Parts: sequence; C-alpha cells; structure tokens
Amino acid sequence: MSTLLSIADIRKSYGALEVLKGVTLDVAEGETFAIIGPNGAGKTTLFRVMTGEAPCNAGTVRYAGRDVTRAPAFERVRLGMGRTFQVARIFPDFTVEENVIVAVEARRSSRGDAAAPRWFQTRPRADVRAEAMEQLERVGLADKAASDARFLSHGDKKRLEFAIALAGRPKILMLDEPTAGMSPADRMATAELIRRLRGESGLTVVMTEHDMDVIFGLANRIFVMNHGEPIACGTLDEIRANPTVQEVYLGKEMYGAEG
Amino acid sequence: MKPIHFLAIAAALVVLASLPVWANQGVTFIVGLALVEAVFALSWNLLFGFTGMASFGHAAFFAIGGYLCGAGLRYATGVPFLALLGGAGALGALTAFLVGLVALRRSSGIHFAILTLALSEVLRVLIAYSTALGREDGLSAIPRPAVNLGVARLDLTSGQSYYWFLLVASALLAWVLWLVAKGPLGRVLQTIRQDPERAAFMGVDVWRYRLGAFTLSGAVAAVSGALYAPWAQIITPDSAHWIHSTQPMLASLLGGAQSFWGPVIGTILFTAINYATRTLIGLSEIVIGVVLLVIVLSAPSGVMGLLRRFESRRNRPAAAAGGGARVRAATVPTPAGEA
Repeated sequence: MSTLLSIADIRKSYGALEVLKGVTLDVAEGETFAIIGPNGAGKTTLFRVMTGEAPCNAGTVRYAGRDVTRAPAFERVRLGMGRTFQVARIFPDFTVEENVIVAVEARRSSRGDAAAPRWFQTRPRADVRAEAMEQLERVGLADKAASDARFLSHGDKKRLEFAIALAGRPKILMLDEPTAGMSPADRMATAELIRRLRGESGLTVVMTEHDMDVIFGLANRIFVMNHGEPIACGTLDEIRANPTVQEVYLGKEMYGAEG
Repeated sequence: MKPIHFLAIAAALVVLASLPVWANQGVTFIVGLALVEAVFALSWNLLFGFTGMASFGHAAFFAIGGYLCGAGLRYATGVPFLALLGGAGALGALTAFLVGLVALRRSSGIHFAILTLALSEVLRVLIAYSTALGREDGLSAIPRPAVNLGVARLDLTSGQSYYWFLLVASALLAWVLWLVAKGPLGRVLQTIRQDPERAAFMGVDVWRYRLGAFTLSGAVAAVSGALYAPWAQIITPDSAHWIHSTQPMLASLLGGAQSFWGPVIGTILFTAINYATRTLIGLSEIVIGVVLLVIVLSAPSGVMGLLRRFESRRNRPAAAAGGGARVRAATVPTPAGEA
C-alpha cells in the first residue's frame, strides 16, 4: 500500500490562538482513517487544511505524490479529492437529480472530458442523466430524484451529498462528521453506506467523527489529537491500550461504546 | 420549453413586430426604450438571479456602450454601425473583466456592490467633465445609421425600420442570454449562487466563473446602451447615474429574479405604469413604490413566482385525479428556474 495523502508539520493559528501545533500524518491508499479528539482538539481545522478550505501557516500537504499545500480546493477536487460537510451542503433550489447532474457536469468539464457539456446545449446529456441516476441509486435516493432537494430530511440530504461527492469520482473521500446530528438508526445506516461505497469503488476514506460505534465499525487506523497536537495513531486495539489516550479522551466515551 | 411558454413568447413577438403598424409613434418609441431596458435588466439578472452577485453600478456599462456608439455616429467617423455595436460589447466586456479581475479577488458580496457603484459614479463625473462627450448636456442629435450587409443595405434612419432592427437585436441578445442561463454554464452559475463553497468542492473554479459572468453581463449591458443611443438620439451622463443602475434591480425584483424572464416582465410593468401615469407628475413614483412594496411583501419571488404558483396549483388537482399525491413532482420535472 502506498501513501495517498500525507501531511507534515502542519501549523495553523487563528490570531494568537494556535489551533494546530505541528501535525504529521500519512494516509495509505485504500484504508479508512479516522481522526478523533475531544471538542476543540483541532479536528475540523485539520480537516479544512487537508481539503483546501483553509490555508495553513506552515507545513506541507502532499496528495498522490504532489505538493498541494497552496492548491485551492477546486484543484484538489480535480486531482481526486471528494468531501462532505458537517452540516450537509446541497443545492436547495435544484431537484435531487439536478444536484447530481451539476456535479457530473462539473467533473466532466473540469477534467477536459470530450463528453463535457457544450454551452448551447441547454438540456443535460442523456448519459449525464443516466450517470446521475446511477449515483442516486447507489445512495438509495433514486425514488426521490424529482423532488426538490430543500424538502429532503436531514439524513437524505447527507445521502445526496454523498452522491454529489461520488459524482466527482474521487480516489479519496473526506468526511467531516458524517453522522453528526443523526438518530442512532440513521447513524448505523450511514456507516453501512460508507462501508458499502468503500467496498464498491476501493475508496480511501478520511473521516472525523464523534460516534465511537461508527469509528470502531469502519476505521482501519485511528488518529487521536488533543489541543492541536497528535497524541496517538494506530489500530483500534493500539489506541485502546494507549495510556495517554485513555487519560485525555477515552475515560468517558469508549466505555459507553464497549458497554 | 412548455407549449404555453412557447405560445407566450410567439405572441409577444407578433405584438411587438406589428406595433409600428397599429400604434402611434409615441407608443412605439416607449416600447423601443422598454426593449433596451429589458435587455439591460436581463444582463444584470444573469449576475444577480443566476450567479448571486449584485452589481450596483451596472449603468456604467450601459453608458460606455451608449457613448461609444453615440460618438461614433455623431462625429460621422465612418465606422459601420454593426462594428460600433461589436466595439461597445468588447469595451463593456473589457471594462467588466478588468474591474472583476481586481474586485472579485476580494469579495463578491456587498463590497463588490459598493465598489461597482463607486466606479460607475466616477465614470459619470468623468463623462460630465469631458467636452468631447458634451459635458452635462451629453451628445444630442445622434443620427440613426444605415447598415451595410454586403448584399443589401438596411436604411435605419426612419423610426420604424430602426425599431424593427432594435427588436431583432434585443431578441437575439435575450436568446443568447437564455442559452447561457439555461445551459450547463447557467447550471454552474446557479450552484455558485446557492453555495459557492459546495461548488468549489465539485471542482468548479468559482472565481473564474464569476469573472466570466460579470464580463458577459458587462458586454450585453454595453450593447444595450449602444442600441439605445441612436434610438433616443441623445445620450447624457444620466445614463450612468446610479438611479439608472437601480432600474434593472427594480425590474428584476418586480418580475422575479429567480426566473429568466422575470426582469422582462418587470420592465414591461414599469413601462406600463409610467405610461399610464404620464400626465400626473409624481404619481408614477408613488404607484411604482406601492406596487414594489406589495410585491416584495406578498410575493418575494416576483410576478413570475406568482404565476408559477398558480400554474402548479392548477396542475395539482388534475394530477391528483390521475392518482397519487406526489404526482406533481413526478409528472412535471421542472428544471430550476424554468421560464
């Protein structure tokens, strides 16, 4: 397994507050990598730096052998990064199908695809629509294709966002708290969805998450951080056995997960 | 396109094309002005309603086109009229591109709006100081041109023939804007309006699309100004005044900014109100103010939004009779912002 995403000595401050104090990590191709930590540990900031949503003050981000530290988000997406947001972000004025159509068209035109839409053809091409429907079927939203996206439930919006991200045919999927704000049943369904999508297309997944059940069910490796610094990185068993992790983090939540 | 929309457009074109035959010169002149303003409003709404950017100084582009064309004809430079129109579009596009290059790096929201407003006021003051452009009085007695098409020569010096030329040109510009707004480009622009960050994470270079939309919008606004100059036969610094910049905004709000044809409907309504109240000084402003207030409060999506609501209400009972409660969504897959 080769390294797909690697960051080295990332530092980031908001004013005088140093949020990331030199974070280094490697994500191997095909693995599912979870970032955990208490509130305020810097998970989301780290996520923003990795995806290109926010610049870092120091350090490097390398993706697929390239230095993308200064590359804006849309360039990273073109290189094969896909992402979802903590609160699902979809296009509320479009129908569910159109949400995915624009994502398919965006991929085709940004990668100079020969089948990219031309400006005077107002209707989406038939193969674009077929591809969009395919993605909706994968996430289980095909029967809602014609409804307005704004009326979807929270869980369905998350699913739609998955379909949008997948329409970009990513090699790596970055999920920022994919089950945030969901009911326990929805959480399990989402974890199942991630597992299935990962299996179908051999995706590499990087996720931040609060729900330990979801993490334990999915992650190959876990990265624990606190106060902007890494504390531990390893497999589930290694993390459980780590005394520092137990001290700062596990005491409360991991018992609940085990019990 | 649905049959009813096709019929509405065809009927509008027939009425407009036959207008000089059955209406008097005064009405024809006003409708000609409305055509120009409608294209101007459409160019503005491509930014606002589709890309989510507000230009508060759009009249500057109108004035750039108007003065270029007006001066070209007034000083008998010998430049062909079609070249003047093309030049106006190119100059409008270039200006918008340069302004956007600087302004859009930083912001596309309120700062962009205020910056465009400030620049347009600067342009107005510069024009008012320029002797070649007639200072405060503007350029008057602009002659109407003749167009040499190689095989034929179109003499547009009469009001009627220029009106028809204006109608064809406006329809063409509207058609191009419609293609852009309804096509894949327009879909990308609409994603940027709804959530620029989400769009960026689909691989869309948001900044480039915004700049492109602003450039196109500036070009079309300048061409609408260039069409105006020989029609009114005068162009003054007022064409760059901020009050003129509000015209497309009010028309879009009244007609419905989310709809492509909304700004046209709004322009028609404004023109009708102005015409109906023309003998009562000051009344038109009051009527327009009241109408706007009512529309904004009762139908935030404008007249087109109201029409669409009636349309879906009319369709619903029929669909329900066909069986199934969610049939509307299934049988009428309306692409966003249809009509």
